[in-house]
Amino acid sequence: MDPIALTIALNVVYEVTTLFVIVLGLAIVFGLLRVMNLAHGEFIMIGAYSAYFCQDQGWPYITAIPFALIIAAVVGYLIEFTLIRHLYKRPFDTLLVTWGLSILLRELIELVYGKGFQSLSNPIPGSVNILGEPYPSYRALVMVIAVVSAIVLWAWYRRSLTGARVKAMVENTELAQAVGIRVDRLARHTFVVGTCFGALAGVMLAPLTRVEPFMGLDYILTSFFVLVVGGIGTLLGLTAGAGVIGGVQSVVANLFGETSGYFGVLLIAILFLWLKPNGLVSRS
Amino acid sequence: MGSFLGRSVILLVGLFTLPTLFGDFWAYQLGLYFLYSIAALGIGICWGQAGFLPLGQAMFLGIGAYLSGFSLIHFHDSAWLFLLLPSAAIAPGLLAFFFGLLIFRGRVESGPYFALITLALSLLTFQVATSWVEVTGGFNGLGGIPGLPGIAGFKALYYVIATVLTISVCGVAWLVKSPIGVIWRGIAENEPRLTFFGYDTPLLKALAFGISGLLGGIAGVFYAPHQGLVTPNLAGFILSAELLIWTAVGGRKTLMGPVIGAILVGSLTAELRDVVPVWELMIAGLFICVVLFMPKGIAGWPEQLFRRIFSHSRQEEKVTLAARGILTAPKLELSGCSLSLGSVGILDNLSFQIDEPGIYCLIGPNGAGKTSTFNAITGAVYIQSGTIQLDGERMSGLLPNNVALRGLGRKFQVPSIFPNLTIAENLLVAVWGGRCSLKDLFSYKPLNWSSTIITDLREKFPFLNQDENSANELSHGEKQVLELAMSLLGEPRLLLLDEPCAGLSPEETEKVIETVHWVRSTFDTTIMVIEHDMALVKDIADQVIVMHQGQVLTIGSVQDVQKDIRVKEVYVGVSI
Repeated sequence: MDPIALTIALNVVYEVTTLFVIVLGLAIVFGLLRVMNLAHGEFIMIGAYSAYFCQDQGWPYITAIPFALIIAAVVGYLIEFTLIRHLYKRPFDTLLVTWGLSILLRELIELVYGKGFQSLSNPIPGSVNILGEPYPSYRALVMVIAVVSAIVLWAWYRRSLTGARVKAMVENTELAQAVGIRVDRLARHTFVVGTCFGALAGVMLAPLTRVEPFMGLDYILTSFFVLVVGGIGTLLGLTAGAGVIGGVQSVVANLFGETSGYFGVLLIAILFLWLKPNGLVSRS
Repeated sequence: MGSFLGRSVILLVGLFTLPTLFGDFWAYQLGLYFLYSIAALGIGICWGQAGFLPLGQAMFLGIGAYLSGFSLIHFHDSAWLFLLLPSAAIAPGLLAFFFGLLIFRGRVESGPYFALITLALSLLTFQVATSWVEVTGGFNGLGGIPGLPGIAGFKALYYVIATVLTISVCGVAWLVKSPIGVIWRGIAENEPRLTFFGYDTPLLKALAFGISGLLGGIAGVFYAPHQGLVTPNLAGFILSAELLIWTAVGGRKTLMGPVIGAILVGSLTAELRDVVPVWELMIAGLFICVVLFMPKGIAGWPEQLFRRIFSHSRQEEKVTLAARGILTAPKLELSGCSLSLGSVGILDNLSFQIDEPGIYCLIGPNGAGKTSTFNAITGAVYIQSGTIQLDGERMSGLLPNNVALRGLGRKFQVPSIFPNLTIAENLLVAVWGGRCSLKDLFSYKPLNWSSTIITDLREKFPFLNQDENSANELSHGEKQVLELAMSLLGEPRLLLLDEPCAGLSPEETEKVIETVHWVRSTFDTTIMVIEHDMALVKDIADQVIVMHQGQVLTIGSVQDVQKDIRVKEVYVGVSI
């Protein structure tokens, strides 16, 4: 295979898979609980700063995963318990509150670490051979983890009892409650799972990106575009959306520069909202 | 009236003597925050009134400022400025209007989609401003912008800005009190219901967004000469966020809230940001609290005061609109209508015709497709095959507001009203639907409209006279009657009533039935009623349409239907 084409193809695959991980947490919370968590990007940021903290302490990089998950779970739990659970029937207010929270979390990090960039060193330097071409090992690992986590989550949701309960809650909250499902707890856990996936994405991406307080802003927007294009509530839609947005962004940005890439993505999102408001794959 | 004038004068005198009292530095500082308040007024309209959230208001401020900066740099001392500067404010307004139209037309909702698109747009504007170095000066900004011709010094500019702020506040006050303001608040409360009165809600929301963009543009036009420098940050995310916070803390649902918030919180932030490290954290926390618990913000505290300052309750002569009189009887024809949701069939090749005036009762067991039939006729759902025609014209595929304008009125099964509007406003919204042109919505005259039907209805149902009470204080039965009244006020030719007597006491039921008969005989309206109570059906029906499993089982008089063995079979399961 042509080495240049292969590199481009790998980069597009990388773009799409990382995008998938970035959106996953938001998609879980919005698709299942109808809460558009505008602070989702900040949970990615929390994950990234956790990774920075761990590396700064000289701990092995892998410790960042449990560390970030614990922090995201605690913060997510507290937020759900104090604010979100009162607002499940008021989607507009959740929008505002999570937006306020995103500022709060950003300011908090800024207070501790300042406005500047933090850079992490690559935990797995070197490269692996993919179809005869060298490719950065860490990126390859990120792609593998993204695909594996998607498959595991999908299988678990389809087959587990908890997955069935969540589906029941989504379809008919009152009825689910009436047959003995503890909906409030289930919703809280769902929310926490969403925030944890955000933090996990942060840990994975931290060595590859600029870690700074405002990093979440880009993530929430691209995540939102993926949801708009792909449609809400299915992993297939999520994958399709990530494919379109990730593909367009990397191709247009490569050809015409960063701003054009951003503009292209925004244009597609607006066109979708206008002409195909339910996205590519809509849950019937 | 006198006291209103008096207070306004005191406020204005205060406004214009401030720089003399506090000196030039404060004139400069206040001038800046006055500009921010003008932009914040726009957020007040979108969020506080029409109920959708613009997360990128600074974008319009930025665009206005860049345009104004170019004009001042390149056309300084030229007469063209008198054309260019107003255009610099109008351009962002138009941009906002068309973007709003594009997005709102796609989806009848006011949730996260719109908010995030505006956020994305503001980030895009920031990116463009940063990377288009030749034109915008890039990250360092567009510098060396001269002042407005003939306005020298910050004090003089302060007076100009204070005047613009005063005019903007008056303009917004006008809008909020005029019919369009009532409709905007109605959109925030219950947008779908408005479409069934014939309102083109996406257009009206886009108007709100356009006006908000215009206000942002106006602020930007004066920002450029005030600061002499426009940087991408002006269009960026942080200022957008701050404007929103100021609006919230000041009080989004009040007229003066955004202004108070921008001046108070804005200038406090400028002072304390570097002194108190946790200041921004506190503000973010305050924002969350205000959003949840104090929609009227700071301005809510002395609200009584402001209400007295800015409202002048003059009793004006009511203009009673004559009923439009007897209208031609509608000819409704459904042929082969089918609708299914997933694998569930709802309407199955449904066909019937109504061409004589009268009261038609639609009966059938639960799940027969009665309400879905109403939804299909009014455009709430689109049928997948078949046609619906009114007077020979195709109606299937039209939006609910266009269907309503053809003379259809609808009352929903669960009363669908505007709970936080007053009873009078609820009735007015219904009167205006289909009668108010876009121009009328901006004038005060329709506020005094009444109609002969209102007068009659008020006699029948005295509770409708409690004009100033908000509709959510009514009992369930009264809400039912209110919605019935609202659906009558558009004087529909074809009126669809979905269980109008559900949850009513026997006395109320009797009155509602009497009203239905009265409408039928006075206006020759054709009425379709979904009803389960057979005694009631016997009382009112000229014809009965029996539905079963998405189809018409039979049509006939009450006696015919009662004799029909198939009807008994459907209802009680007697086999033939």
